Amino acid sequence: MIFNRGAFVHSLLRPFIALAALVVTTAMATWGGAAFAQAGAPWPKVSPITIVINQSPWFGGFSKVVEAYEKETGNKVTLDVNPFAGSGEKQRNSVRAKEGQFDILVMNSAWLAEFYHGGFLTPLNTIDASFRLDPQVMSYDDTGYWDATKKSNNAKTGVVYGVPINGNIQVLYYRSDLYEKAGLKVPQTWDELAANAKALNSPPNVYGMVQRGARSASDISYDWMPYLHSYNGAIFRDEKAGDFTVTINSPEARQALDMYVNLAKNSGPPNPGSYGQAQVIQALLTGKAAHATPVIAAWPQLDDATKSAVVGKVNVAVLPHGPGGRTTPTLGHFIGGIPNNIPKDRQVAALAFLRWFQSYDAQVKYAQTGQPPIRIDVYDAPFMKSPDYRWSRAILASLPNAKMMYTVPEGPQIASVLELRLNQAVLGEKTTADALNTAADEIHDIMQKAGYKTARLPALK
Amino acid sequence: MRAPPARADAIQVDRWRFYTLAPALAVYLLLALLPIVNLVVMSAHDIRWQQGAAQWTLVGLKHYTELPRDPLVRAGLANTTLFALLAVTAEMLIGFALALFVSRIVVGRVLYRTIFLLPILIPGIVIGAIWKLMYNPDFGIINQLFGLVGLAGFDWLGSGRLAFMSVIVVDIWHWTPFVFLLLLAGLESLPEDIHEAAMLDGASAWQELRRVTIPMMLPVIVVTLAFRLIVSFKVFDEVYLLTGGGPGTATEVLSFTIYRRFFTEDRMGYGSAISVVALFVLTLVIVLFMGMTRRRMHTN
Repeated sequence: MIFNRGAFVHSLLRPFIALAALVVTTAMATWGGAAFAQAGAPWPKVSPITIVINQSPWFGGFSKVVEAYEKETGNKVTLDVNPFAGSGEKQRNSVRAKEGQFDILVMNSAWLAEFYHGGFLTPLNTIDASFRLDPQVMSYDDTGYWDATKKSNNAKTGVVYGVPINGNIQVLYYRSDLYEKAGLKVPQTWDELAANAKALNSPPNVYGMVQRGARSASDISYDWMPYLHSYNGAIFRDEKAGDFTVTINSPEARQALDMYVNLAKNSGPPNPGSYGQAQVIQALLTGKAAHATPVIAAWPQLDDATKSAVVGKVNVAVLPHGPGGRTTPTLGHFIGGIPNNIPKDRQVAALAFLRWFQSYDAQVKYAQTGQPPIRIDVYDAPFMKSPDYRWSRAILASLPNAKMMYTVPEGPQIASVLELRLNQAVLGEKTTADALNTAADEIHDIMQKAGYKTARLPALK
Repeated sequence: MRAPPARADAIQVDRWRFYTLAPALAVYLLLALLPIVNLVVMSAHDIRWQQGAAQWTLVGLKHYTELPRDPLVRAGLANTTLFALLAVTAEMLIGFALALFVSRIVVGRVLYRTIFLLPILIPGIVIGAIWKLMYNPDFGIINQLFGLVGLAGFDWLGSGRLAFMSVIVVDIWHWTPFVFLLLLAGLESLPEDIHEAAMLDGASAWQELRRVTIPMMLPVIVVTLAFRLIVSFKVFDEVYLLTGGGPGTATEVLSFTIYRRFFTEDRMGYGSAISVVALFVLTLVIVLFMGMTRRRMHTN
């Protein structure tokens, strides 16, 4: 037998070479998503995932972006689409089960606190240590981060748990054609808006101001928050610092509610207390609203000739503010998070989607559907200068001031109180002072029972 | 002393029946009672989620003591009672009239029966969508019809009592066919010769109805009424789809309050307490009602 030293060494090393190749390939497939994307190389193949999401006005844009992801990466995504409240309940049931049904939860700001406080989400770094929120992604009041020790959203002390999916906030929609005809200026304050609304009020053809005054899980409370905050009022004295003294019946809050109710009485439709989001958008689309403050997700329909009677006649601006305050829209945005209770391969696959979704190219596609991108740099893209995207400046100017409605898991109970009491004020069943005093009592009761350090202001006269 | 052979056989058969039915009875009791026992246990706890796990804290009767101060429970209970009384009364009257009408005609009976039954075949969610569109103050067909005759329309779901009545109208439209179906079956099973005898005795149509038909129909009427009362106390879908309990608390009903407290606000313990009270109230109403009608029937 002739001994071939070269062949011997080769056969000895062959398993190690194969092993090294396997390790490198696996590492590239598992961790290399970002590097691949940055280099323009194909995205890794991952397990199919299911995203649970609600059928909101922005859903059409999101589903188009998901289609683009599937086409680009070859990965499979199933969308489980539900009504708004149904989506929250499905998510809740899924995270409380032994094994979750959904891989990405598209959580609204209204139920975000419940998921963070409940400990249902996975820090994204535990799936992939290299994962970071792209610096170009907007902060949305740090709601993608969670500090489990301090129980607060904080980018500095917390870790990343979610990627923003939709940057929904309120803006002022106004009829630019009517403004031009009447020679009006875009309002900076609520008082100016009230004057403009009165000037354009011509019922039953056009109502000066159409508000979301209905009572539901989140209509009038969400609609009124920008008034409250921009009059320098708040539900609690200092929520972030842990001071849960109830201040909803402060003089500032009363001024904010007086303004809201007066707008409804003087320039609104006959029964403003029954208008939810759908009715407000309908009033805008049919040309019956001279002003309204729905979320930006409603925008694409307004310039769609198949749905709108006012194509090209509506513009948007930042929300007005109260005296001495500043424009403060309420965050009604959505965060995509990954639950603890799903297998690792599905967590990896879910993160691959979120990583792709926050990329510049994906956000350009998203913006082109008429939805607000979550990245700041996309707002500088040349196509965003077109009149079709005339909403983008208002969003960019508003977002730095945008605030969460609440950050405690008792939020839905607080919203329920506000929905009823504010609705009663709009209906005239209670005076504004009475509505706010009652709300303050009830919110104080909720916080006390939940064990918070709380107090309340003296009753308004 | 031993029982006589025939009686002993009967006892043995009875025992045999009891033992053979026992497993089915046990399964039934388990299925029927377990959720209720679970509900009662939950109602005595506060349930919160931390670190992905449920934390149960025993609070005893605390939730029950909070109920009388809950504005939604108060409004829900009052509205549900009024809703059940008004809707069921109207459904019984209209359903009985339609059943009488169809039972007395010969030509087109099948056609009428089919038409009257249609609403009950439509899923609740579709009914909600249909009526929400019909009630729309801007483009709803009802206001358009008002407009055709020169009348101003209404915001049917937009203001207090009108919204409440509008929801009742939908419930009547939805459930009258059910009443009609049961009462028609009852009417058709009545012996024809008694009607003929009444006619031969010279009874007017009203007298025949009052003294012959209604007394003979009483058991069917009672069962139908009881069934409708139970279902109307649980009304949910029409309110959920049409008004969401508003404006204010004008259309708040107990089922919707439970949904709101239990699911939307995630207060499982408190929501369970409302459910237990609702169950108790409904059982009480049905027991009292059945007791009264049984006594009435015995008297008759």
